[in-house]
Amino acid sequence: MASGSVVQEQAVNEKLTDETMSLILDSLQINLGGSELFSPVSLTVEAGQILTVMGPSGCGKSTLLASICGNLDPGFSLSGTIQLGDRILNNIPMEQRRIGILFQDDLLFPHLDVFGNMAFGLPSILTMEQKRERINSALAMAGLSGFERRDIGTLSGGQKARVSLLRSLLAEPEAILLDEPFSKLDKQLRQNIREFVFQQITKLAIPALLVTHDADDAPEGNILELKNGNYHA
Amino acid sequence: MGRGIGERLAQKIQSLTFLMVGQNRNPLQFFPYLTIAAFLAPIILGLVGTWLPAFGYLPIIGADDFTLQSYRELLAHPSLPGALRSTLISGLSATLISLFLSLWITAHLYGTAFWSFIQRTLAPLLAIPHAAFALGLTFLIAPSGWLIRLFSPGLTGFVFPPDWATTRDPLAISLTITMIFKEVPFLLLMTIGALNQLDIKRTVWVGRSLGFQKFKVWMRLVIPQLYPMLRLPVLAVLAYSLSVVDLALIIGPSLPPPLAVLIDRWFNDPDLSMRLIGAAGATLLFIVITFFIGVFIVVEHVVAMLTRPRLLNGLRHSWWGQMKSTATLAAVTVITTTGLSLFLLSLWSVAKNWRFPDALPRHLSLFYWTKSLPLIVEPFLTAAAVGLSSAVIAIILVLGCLENELHLSRSKIDSISQKSILIIYLPLLIPQIGFLFGIQTIVTNLHIEGSWFSLIWVHLVFVLPYIFLTLATTYRNYDQRYVQVATILSGSSLHSFFRVKVVMLTKPILFSLAVGFAVSIAQYLPTLYVGAGRFATITTETVSLASGSDRRVIAVYALCQFLLPFLVYSLAIWLPALLFRNRQLMKN
Amino acid sequence: MLKTIFLLPVFIFCSFLFSADQAQSSDWEKIMQKARGQTVYFNGWGGSDPINDYIRWAGDQVKKRYQVEVKHVKVSDIGEVVSRILAEKSGGREHGGSVDLMWINGENFSTMKRNNLLQPPYSQLLPHLSLVDTENKKSTLYDFTVPVDNMEVPWGMAQLVFLYDKEHIKTHPKNMGELLSFAETHPGRVSYPLPPNFHGTTFLKQALIELTPDRKQLSRPVSESDFDLVTTPLWDYLDKLHPHMWRKGTSFPANGSEMKQLLNDGELFIALSFNPAEASNGIATGELPESIRTYVHDSGTIGNSHFVAIPFNASAREGALVFANFLLSPEAQARKSDPAIWGDPTVLSMDKLNREEKNMFQSIPQGVATLSPEALGTVLLEPHASWVEALEKGWLKRYSR
Repeated sequence: MASGSVVQEQAVNEKLTDETMSLILDSLQINLGGSELFSPVSLTVEAGQILTVMGPSGCGKSTLLASICGNLDPGFSLSGTIQLGDRILNNIPMEQRRIGILFQDDLLFPHLDVFGNMAFGLPSILTMEQKRERINSALAMAGLSGFERRDIGTLSGGQKARVSLLRSLLAEPEAILLDEPFSKLDKQLRQNIREFVFQQITKLAIPALLVTHDADDAPEGNILELKNGNYHA
Repeated sequence: MGRGIGERLAQKIQSLTFLMVGQNRNPLQFFPYLTIAAFLAPIILGLVGTWLPAFGYLPIIGADDFTLQSYRELLAHPSLPGALRSTLISGLSATLISLFLSLWITAHLYGTAFWSFIQRTLAPLLAIPHAAFALGLTFLIAPSGWLIRLFSPGLTGFVFPPDWATTRDPLAISLTITMIFKEVPFLLLMTIGALNQLDIKRTVWVGRSLGFQKFKVWMRLVIPQLYPMLRLPVLAVLAYSLSVVDLALIIGPSLPPPLAVLIDRWFNDPDLSMRLIGAAGATLLFIVITFFIGVFIVVEHVVAMLTRPRLLNGLRHSWWGQMKSTATLAAVTVITTTGLSLFLLSLWSVAKNWRFPDALPRHLSLFYWTKSLPLIVEPFLTAAAVGLSSAVIAIILVLGCLENELHLSRSKIDSISQKSILIIYLPLLIPQIGFLFGIQTIVTNLHIEGSWFSLIWVHLVFVLPYIFLTLATTYRNYDQRYVQVATILSGSSLHSFFRVKVVMLTKPILFSLAVGFAVSIAQYLPTLYVGAGRFATITTETVSLASGSDRRVIAVYALCQFLLPFLVYSLAIWLPALLFRNRQLMKN
Repeated sequence: MLKTIFLLPVFIFCSFLFSADQAQSSDWEKIMQKARGQTVYFNGWGGSDPINDYIRWAGDQVKKRYQVEVKHVKVSDIGEVVSRILAEKSGGREHGGSVDLMWINGENFSTMKRNNLLQPPYSQLLPHLSLVDTENKKSTLYDFTVPVDNMEVPWGMAQLVFLYDKEHIKTHPKNMGELLSFAETHPGRVSYPLPPNFHGTTFLKQALIELTPDRKQLSRPVSESDFDLVTTPLWDYLDKLHPHMWRKGTSFPANGSEMKQLLNDGELFIALSFNPAEASNGIATGELPESIRTYVHDSGTIGNSHFVAIPFNASAREGALVFANFLLSPEAQARKSDPAIWGDPTVLSMDKLNREEKNMFQSIPQGVATLSPEALGTVLLEPHASWVEALEKGWLKRYSR
């Protein structure tokens, strides 16, 4: 996104307003040394929809996310297709897939303040004014007005989680993956953040895949159970 | 985010390498090969250039048969048994005692307030060049030295210095002590780096919750995990202690001196055929060091095997654990002695004359400072230029190799280049005196002696291993997910590398730069041999003066020599503190 | 008419002389011309600040007068330089070497001469060479009994002298025997530098000359004499001396400089040096206290010369020649012999100087610690060069264990 031209930028904006993209996995399977990690996965996630992936630990949920996002370790082999909108993503490098990812650790860059973190993913063709505008409105929406210049180290857990999500969304991904993003938060906070995340995703109208082992996290019972393959760790 | 010049350059290089290797191949793969070529070549050629004369082949002096004659002469030399004896005594004890003291200090003092003080003093302790420290220490403990002067003639009744062998003693005890004072801070630095990789807090917590005394937790749980990470630094210390020349010349036994000094003397002997024996001696020293490295590794495994049952004996207390004060004493001694030797050097640099038994010079004068400073500027800057160049080049090579390693480990490819990175440590384990003679011949043959290029290159050979050693553990410990997130956000992995990973690692990178710089400053023989007299560095000037007699001017030069690494270390500590003064999470 | 016929050959002869002189001076003119703009790398021991200052002064002078730049490459041991030149020779470097002029002494000279590491004879080109006192200072022609053959340029004279602190010592030893008694009454205060350092070896040679029954053997190569017979008195002497020495003879100072330092520290009462003005120079710079004095042994002490030499592959040969010539000039030699600056005795002959030049020398205050030429006594000649190695080997065999 950072190397996009003005035309591309406009095209992306248009895409978001005209088309809504879905994330489609077709018979996706991951092999490690000949064994399958899980049985083949086929699913469609519509724009604004959140699909929860659950399964026993070690069955490869995180690996699944890694494969979708483009960060699969070369030792693994992939079969099946990953499609976002009308693009087949299989051989596209991670930088160009435009899929965001959120981990349970906020992974906010410690050397940048809130503004710096959030601006990191904004396209370089935007002027500083435009960047400031977007960031401020995003912070306001999250109830964090005035936090632009705050040092990451001074934020609470919940604040960090919100900034981290905002950072990912501000980069305008076409889909977003969530790898147990709430597991480090306490119960009260968990609920607040969860609601905030789902709200933003719906608003942005992008497909989302959520991995968790806590059934409470799943919205509307839209759950996929990942079954173990014949791979034994 | 805008693109900096460095990044644009890196992008150009990246596209160039893509052109050369194709889009899908890994451009980083050049780094290990480049690095290895950078110094494997000089070392191998240097060793060969020393082994050939050892076997009698040095055509320029008319020796052109292969014989074992030089070895026979070496083994028949009257000084050899004594030289080997003092080499082994000082080298082995210095290593073992330094290791013991570092672990002792760590086990007792880790996590205490004093520990953070120790961490802060490590930088200046490491910054002092070995020779400068030795000069100060010699004056401290000599029979006519400061300690005796403090109490004379008052308590001791000495009007003349006693005839005690506190320096240059035949058993090399004073040499061993000098080495220990320099090696403990180094090992502590390596220990701290290694500890950052282990989850110490939690281990100690678990252990104590099981009822074990904190010291016991260290002995049973931490140190067994820690030692494998210290193995390489300890072996480097061993190789250094067995082959040190400059310290031995200042404070070591003279009759006979350690083997490395003998070799140095033979290489400089007016009788040219002594060079053959020198080469034989260098080969012998190489064999001795290799042998003891092997012994250390074997002993490590034997000790691990023998103590395993004890690890599980459930004994929760030991009275060794109550000796915390000895650890404090040891740490305090190292810090104060080093500080004292600096203090004494400073006193000498402003002394007009200073005789026994005065504890302070009677008359002070800034004469030698005002006289020497204008003359020092050029050697000072030369040393700084060579040091910075070799350190920066080394950092770039090391970053490339470590990134490549990351890439390879993800592919789970057990590539040769991963293992061969260990060759980087070769210069640490081979005595300098063992291959510098050969390097001089090669460099002269290639007509590159006396050039900036070859001088920086030979310094790079010694700087690179230390930078690798100090940076590797921290680097490998970095959470790569930051880069993953940044790549997704910005769409460029190069951008993410420079703007996120490198920035987050500023402190460790700058610190290992300082370590590498200090290593370069300390180099004397390489500058001499490869520089062909064209480069006067502050070190060559100081060493040359130290062969003379006037402590006042030697002190001025030695202090200036110390100033260089001190400045760089200070920068490495203050610059990140300044840059990240408003960033809590960057202060670690 | 007859007068003219007689005078003609005289004229012709004189014009020959004149033109020969002119030829030599025009050769020298050519050399000076070529030297302009050259940089001379002068490799020499850099352990003494006063000496380094002197060399810097000399370099400044030749820069001003002859546009020759001199860089002093400070080494701790001239052996390093010999190794470098050797490496260059083995690398086939016949021209453009890294050393243009080096400060050299006997042992190294004989090695370099034997191995063709020096320029073919050149010192005869130097105009000031004719001022050297080759008649009385034989060591300017024979360096450690090896003929110089114009392959090195004399720079200064050296004589073994002893330094002592007159505050601590009322009567100083006058020969080796008295040195031994002194050591016995003052244990731990006497030592000598470790052979094969040349100061240490010279001490051995001095002792050998004094103690051996048949001194004439020493001027012959060692292979022609009965080494054991000649040296037994020396080893007996040292066996008696060592237990009373500094550190009981288990440790030795590395060189003359360390002895000087120990003298100042008070660990040693007697030090030795090759520079008769060392004590005065030390007092002048404040390195030694004012109570230091010099003495020699009654039967004389060993003396020799030190030199500068041009290696075979020097890059700036002409510049080196110009610098060497300047070092030989009365002005430079006079300044060098000033104890406040260095104190190194001159190689020039006073008889060959004009009045002004002689005055340069005579006006120098010699310093209270310097012995007059008369007091310096006889200068003993060096033994044959082969004795050095034999003595070193013998000493190491007996004492280096």
